Amino acid sequence: MVNTTDKLHVIYGDGDLGVGGDGFHYLFSYSRGGIESLVIDNKEWLYREPKPTFWRATTDNDRGNGFSQKSAQWLGADLFSQSVGVDVKVDDQLIKFPGAKVNNQYSNNEYVDKIEVSYHFVTATKPTTDVSVSYTVIGDGTIGVQVHYKGNIALPDLPVFGMRFLMPTVASGFKYDGLSGETYPDRMAGGQRGTYKVAGLPVTKYLVPQDCGVHMNTDAVTITRDWTKNNADRSERAFSLRFEESGTPFAFSCLPYTAEELENATHIEELPVPRRTVVTILGAVRGVGGIDSWGSDVESKYHIPAGKDIDFGFKIMKG
Amino acid sequence: MKPDISWLDDPEVFRVGQIPAHSDHHYYRNNNEITNDRSSYVENLNGNWQFKFSRDPMSRPSRFYEAGFDSGDFDTIKVPQHIEFAGYDRFHYINTLYPWEGHVFRRPAYALNPDDEGKGMFSQAKDNRVGSYIKTFTLNPDWQGMQVRVRFEGVEKAMYVWLNGHFLGYAEDSFTPSEFDLTPYLKAGENKLAVEVFKLSTAAFLEDQDMFRFFGIFRDVSLMAQPKVHVEDLLIKPVPINHFEDGDLTIQAKLTVKDPRARVKIVVRDADGNRLFEDIKPANNRLEVNNQVIKRCHLWDTHHSYLYQLLIEIDDGTGKVLEVVPYQFGFRKIEINNKIIELNDKRLIINGVNRHEWNCHSGRVITSDDMKSDIRVMRENHINAVRTCHYPDHTEWYRLCDTQGIYVMAEDNLESHGTWQKLGGVEPSYNVPGSLPQWQAAVLDRAKNNYELLKNHPSILFWSLGNESYAGDDIAAMNRYYKQVDPDRLVHYEGVFHNPKYKPQISDVESRMYATPTDIRDYLENNPQKPFILCEYMHDMGNSLGGMKSYTDLIDKYPMYQGGFIWDFIDQAIEVKDEVTGQAVLRYGGDFDDRPADYEFSGDGLLFSDRTPKPAMQEVKYYYGQYN
Repeated sequence: MVNTTDKLHVIYGDGDLGVGGDGFHYLFSYSRGGIESLVIDNKEWLYREPKPTFWRATTDNDRGNGFSQKSAQWLGADLFSQSVGVDVKVDDQLIKFPGAKVNNQYSNNEYVDKIEVSYHFVTATKPTTDVSVSYTVIGDGTIGVQVHYKGNIALPDLPVFGMRFLMPTVASGFKYDGLSGETYPDRMAGGQRGTYKVAGLPVTKYLVPQDCGVHMNTDAVTITRDWTKNNADRSERAFSLRFEESGTPFAFSCLPYTAEELENATHIEELPVPRRTVVTILGAVRGVGGIDSWGSDVESKYHIPAGKDIDFGFKIMKG
Repeated sequence: MKPDISWLDDPEVFRVGQIPAHSDHHYYRNNNEITNDRSSYVENLNGNWQFKFSRDPMSRPSRFYEAGFDSGDFDTIKVPQHIEFAGYDRFHYINTLYPWEGHVFRRPAYALNPDDEGKGMFSQAKDNRVGSYIKTFTLNPDWQGMQVRVRFEGVEKAMYVWLNGHFLGYAEDSFTPSEFDLTPYLKAGENKLAVEVFKLSTAAFLEDQDMFRFFGIFRDVSLMAQPKVHVEDLLIKPVPINHFEDGDLTIQAKLTVKDPRARVKIVVRDADGNRLFEDIKPANNRLEVNNQVIKRCHLWDTHHSYLYQLLIEIDDGTGKVLEVVPYQFGFRKIEINNKIIELNDKRLIINGVNRHEWNCHSGRVITSDDMKSDIRVMRENHINAVRTCHYPDHTEWYRLCDTQGIYVMAEDNLESHGTWQKLGGVEPSYNVPGSLPQWQAAVLDRAKNNYELLKNHPSILFWSLGNESYAGDDIAAMNRYYKQVDPDRLVHYEGVFHNPKYKPQISDVESRMYATPTDIRDYLENNPQKPFILCEYMHDMGNSLGGMKSYTDLIDKYPMYQGGFIWDFIDQAIEVKDEVTGQAVLRYGGDFDDRPADYEFSGDGLLFSDRTPKPAMQEVKYYYGQYN
């Protein structure tokens, strides 16, 4: 006997693919390049769709050695890369794209074991390259995310490659299993493994705001918020979302700002009033370097060459 | 002697009427005062002084030192303090360019033309700010009839001093003490001390350090009375002998003796207070204890900063104590054997950091708590060495380094970066001091001030001739000076890298800054002549300090690679109230309408400027801990 409560309820909409289950409901937008809504226990976790990210706010060493100038295209890619296609797989089978009017064949009683929605992006670079992001939802609501970057040797080194999640409100804090402190590929020997709880969303107070708060080699991070933007939700109960490695540890940062917001500020006091949570799950991170701040490059083993494919994955679940 | 404002223009005038530089020993009336570290022979003159700011020498109140001068329109300023922090002059941060860049055309006197005396370059300059200070004080009645001097621990950058209308002297070299004898002009009751401080003089060419440019009386000012017999200078030479088993102790002191009956008792104790040596001698101008052997002596190093205690006690011949002088010293030997620097017969590994004196609320006016906190942070993170970039620090710093076991590279107050490096390129056409005879005495004086003040500190392993000043005969003369007065320490200088023909004459070590690991390997694998030190590396600007392993790996591979000093310890930024929100915020170069500027380039610390650690500190702790 099939236990229908373990199945996903799928709503084949005209603009969004709805996927629901016990205590969760997700909307995969056909027009906006990603998950439009990620609700767990009636709490919305997304302000905008998660997108591939290609930029980090220029560090002093990036500026000094001309990296940001050479790799400036990736700033454009970070802001303007477009989704050009969506595929839907049901129980591992690619189905005919279920938009209007193909979807008239379905009902409000569609139950499946597994849904996979893949978004295809073309980077706003010259030349372009392709990025795909696929989300696989299973019965308990866990979302497996797989991200693929297709290498193109004609492009400059990347500053980072990852997925950026904009959450609607400021988190009260986060907890992670990984390395102590702020770590980067070329600065992580001093990080000690453990479980660390961070209150609020601290921005490292470098004189000029720049990329910060990266945590390498992370097994899991749980973000906790206690308020939403829902005018009818007056609860102050804390609620959490967990990102977990799927086979390989990831790097992440959890900040109140995007790379572009940090990039534009000359002082920390110029940053906007924190309103959201920006979680970036990183599949590749460039080192910070340290030989000098006026020309020496980051050591080559800590570069992200654009010619090489990058694949990484992680899971999202109730925290 | 009459003061002359043209001294500001003349590189050959840098000290007039000053008491010669001497050791930094404290002296007290009795042992109780030592315990409380309060000498009744010393009175602090810190606090509120009368003050007049002038935008240039032409508009200054030139007769303000006179007894009858009406100072009714003077303000009040706190001493010590940078005049900029009192709000009179603009904060300005600039790195290599001189602060007058693009505003005033200047070339150092004699640099391009042997006939160019630079007349009026500073004494008649519209950009030369002036601070006129007046302090009235009442002479302590107990000090009647005693010799009394005034001591300025630090004044930027040139000052003239008067007492009761009489000219006492003139001083440059902002970061070492200047002392003047007040005795001939002291009055019972109220006295008027007048100090005229200029922001610019020829000293400005020698003080082009990469930092905020300040002026004014920024360290303590004291009155000091001397008893009839007084230790004016002290030299302690503790040398390990017999394969580091025993210690050989020589003590030489210069005394002023105005009581021929006086006696001097010299006592040496170990750290637990056990008396190891005692001698009583008649008080002579030269006091000597020669080659006293301390059996099975403890050695001083970063792991065991073992200090012995010297006490010199002077009485008047009847048992009445006149003066007591305590000093802590340590036995250690720094030498180069087979091109490797060894401390006490072991290869020296420098896990170092460069440290500017900094407090985000007061600039280079720092507190004892700041210094103690800095030492603690160093110890906690396995930092074992500090380079006093690029000037002598507050004297308490060296005492802390002695007691806490931090190795010191003690740098002279010298940097003339803007005279030889322009927009990154080496262009020494008007370098000073270079080989110019007119500039040599001034830089030698800076070396002497550094040596004489600090010579007894076991923590000091290296004298450093300054920073980024290129190389020529004058810096070679500084090297010779140190070798002559102190053959037992090593001399360091990096700037000779840019003028290698002076390498045989300058620096015991091959010092580089920001060399890549590949450059360092190239040096060490191609017949290196001197042991290698990075006087600056791992430029920790903003989010940085990646790739440290490539440097520490060199320690394992090359015995002649001896480590380095991270750039640097603490961000230099200034806390101000945000003009929009009223919040306390940290500001950097260019934020004060100061141009040209070098903006955030002074934010390279392992600590933020409020002394909280940057995230990179755990990396330093890890790698330095591997070689601790």
